[in-house]
Amino acid sequence: MEKREEVKNLVRLKRLVNSWVKDCLNPFMKRSPERKDVFDTDIGLAIERLYTPIDLSEFNFDYEKDLGLPGRFPFTRGITPTTYRSEPWIIRAYSGFGEAEKCNERYRKLIEAGVDEIVMAADLPTQVGYDSDHVMSKGEVGKVGVAIDSLRDMEILFEDIPLNRLKRVSMLGNSFGPIALALFIALGEKQGLKPAEFVVDLQNDVLKEYVARGTYIIPIRPAVRVATDVVAYCARNAPHWFPMTFCTNHINAAGAGSSRATAFALANGICYIEHLLKKGYGIDEIAPLFTMFLDERADFFVAICNFRATRRIWAKIMKERFRAENPRSLALKITAYSHGGETLLEPINNIARITLAALAYVLGGVQFLYNASYDEVLGTPTEDAAKISVRIQQILANELGISNTVDPLGGSYFIESLTTQIENQIFDELRKVEEKGGAIAAIEKGYFVEHISEGAVRRKREFDEGSRISVGVNKFRSESQIPKGAFRIDPEAEEKQLKRLVKVKKERNEKRVKEALEYFREALRTDENLVIPALEAVRAYGTVGEICEVLRQEFGEYQAREYFFRKG
Amino acid sequence: MGRKTRVLIGKVGLDGHEVGARVVARALADAGMEVVYTGLRQTPEQIVSAAIEEGVDLIGISILSGSHMTLFAEIIRLLHEKRADDILFIAGGIIPVEDIPGLKELGVKEIFLPETPMAEIVTYVRKIMGN
Repeated sequence: MEKREEVKNLVRLKRLVNSWVKDCLNPFMKRSPERKDVFDTDIGLAIERLYTPIDLSEFNFDYEKDLGLPGRFPFTRGITPTTYRSEPWIIRAYSGFGEAEKCNERYRKLIEAGVDEIVMAADLPTQVGYDSDHVMSKGEVGKVGVAIDSLRDMEILFEDIPLNRLKRVSMLGNSFGPIALALFIALGEKQGLKPAEFVVDLQNDVLKEYVARGTYIIPIRPAVRVATDVVAYCARNAPHWFPMTFCTNHINAAGAGSSRATAFALANGICYIEHLLKKGYGIDEIAPLFTMFLDERADFFVAICNFRATRRIWAKIMKERFRAENPRSLALKITAYSHGGETLLEPINNIARITLAALAYVLGGVQFLYNASYDEVLGTPTEDAAKISVRIQQILANELGISNTVDPLGGSYFIESLTTQIENQIFDELRKVEEKGGAIAAIEKGYFVEHISEGAVRRKREFDEGSRISVGVNKFRSESQIPKGAFRIDPEAEEKQLKRLVKVKKERNEKRVKEALEYFREALRTDENLVIPALEAVRAYGTVGEICEVLRQEFGEYQAREYFFRKG
Repeated sequence: MGRKTRVLIGKVGLDGHEVGARVVARALADAGMEVVYTGLRQTPEQIVSAAIEEGVDLIGISILSGSHMTLFAEIIRLLHEKRADDILFIAGGIIPVEDIPGLKELGVKEIFLPETPMAEIVTYVRKIMGN
């Protein structure tokens, strides 16, 4: 009966639309044609002029099945019943530069401004497991982040910042997860805090490093074991921590497009999960510990719908494929970073770009959010710019009523159509990766990189042709100078860091360090969890470089491939 | 028609951002040049040896890590030491404008900042290669 009523309504609506096209739209378009033939997106889906219940019926849209209620399967509308009415999202700040003391000062100012979570930006030597005195570190110490050689640096960075004062504390640690985790545990010990009293969050997603971000150390397969050991450790010892984040962000930034990047990130995630299941961990023991770092920077609505679609996909994969039963396993927690499209010319305009990106992510139901700084395109953010990024989030959370209702755009014909289309795109692409043999095989065969490179070339072409508009750069350009980078890293930071490293090595118990490093090596050869020996080494002030050197000795180094580009 | 222009596009140091390097490599190849891309994490020594080994006319380095002063100076020193000063050196990436005069003084021929149209880079390379 109900169904028949619906069909009748649709028939009536279709008739109405037809008459509208004939009597309203067509005459109007004759006088005022549309600006372009296709309103395209970066993910290759064209946006239609108008969405109505007809579109939803074509997707067999079903409120209960596709949306349900917030806090319940399939979590499209959000992972808690109240979303931001109970608690706003967590405001993060990604920060780190130069010298540890200066950096500590910045952290304290950010916390004073209201930041909930510090995400430490480590310099490149740290990220790839070299100490500041390594030959490859020359000129790079303290540049894109702060140098972390040993626990001593952590102590200085968090001086007067008890870890339990923050809602979470975070580091990327993509290629040395166990060491990153150990550094936080050991720092907690120094501050008299047990793991139960604070919350650690790591990126620790090494697979995407081989295709998009580049801070790999060892070959792919052993790297998966190193990363998953962190999850295994937390599952049994700190289940309220976040030991791994599956990252869409860098894969999309590099060129993949957000739907494809989400599929690749999910494929990477499935690879880690299967690895852990094989080791005997239960899905409901590990799934609640994962988060996803989602990203879409080219289209406001695609961003919102990507988040909603990915929550639904995650819930389905966990329930149907992995047979998870714990509701916390099915509810995907999302991290996002508001950036993309920032310009070097007239950089102050980037405040508007970052604000709008953040708004999209909030409307998409993000849990952990950080904003780029408007001057980041010039170099390390200045203090004022970093503070503005925090203020933007506070304005979104507290003014304008944005967080007053759950999933405010849910039910929109457009939003629901796009959410379903994106869900289909992601599932299709995920299937293709699985046909290639899963994430590792797809990485090794160059499948991910091929799509990333194609997308990067396409985006640049669209920008140069002017179909991808950047205001003040390739449209509405006015005479303007490229501004100078405002923030300069202390040129003596490298020298100071080297001196500190020498001092740490002189003062520590060398025998204890050696024993811990040998214990770490032993654990690599057996199958013991690496967090425990890493913690021993870190407590003894063994350095990140020394521990990573053991990794390199045991597994060798991953070699970047050389490519020949031919006319094509 | 002489021989094709040979270009080495490289990433020096630990910087892992390779979108720009790949896009430029692709554009120069599409413009008919022979292009080899080193992949990530090369030392100045590796860049210079590869350039000499591949017999390239031009080195193009992409860098976003802020370590350009130290690493570029080393590349130029090595080119000189190996008597390969005839290999031209251009660069691009996130480089503060105030560093550009110093880098040019060192011997970097040109610096391309973000948002540079690809055609501008291709035209520039053709011009300095004399065709």
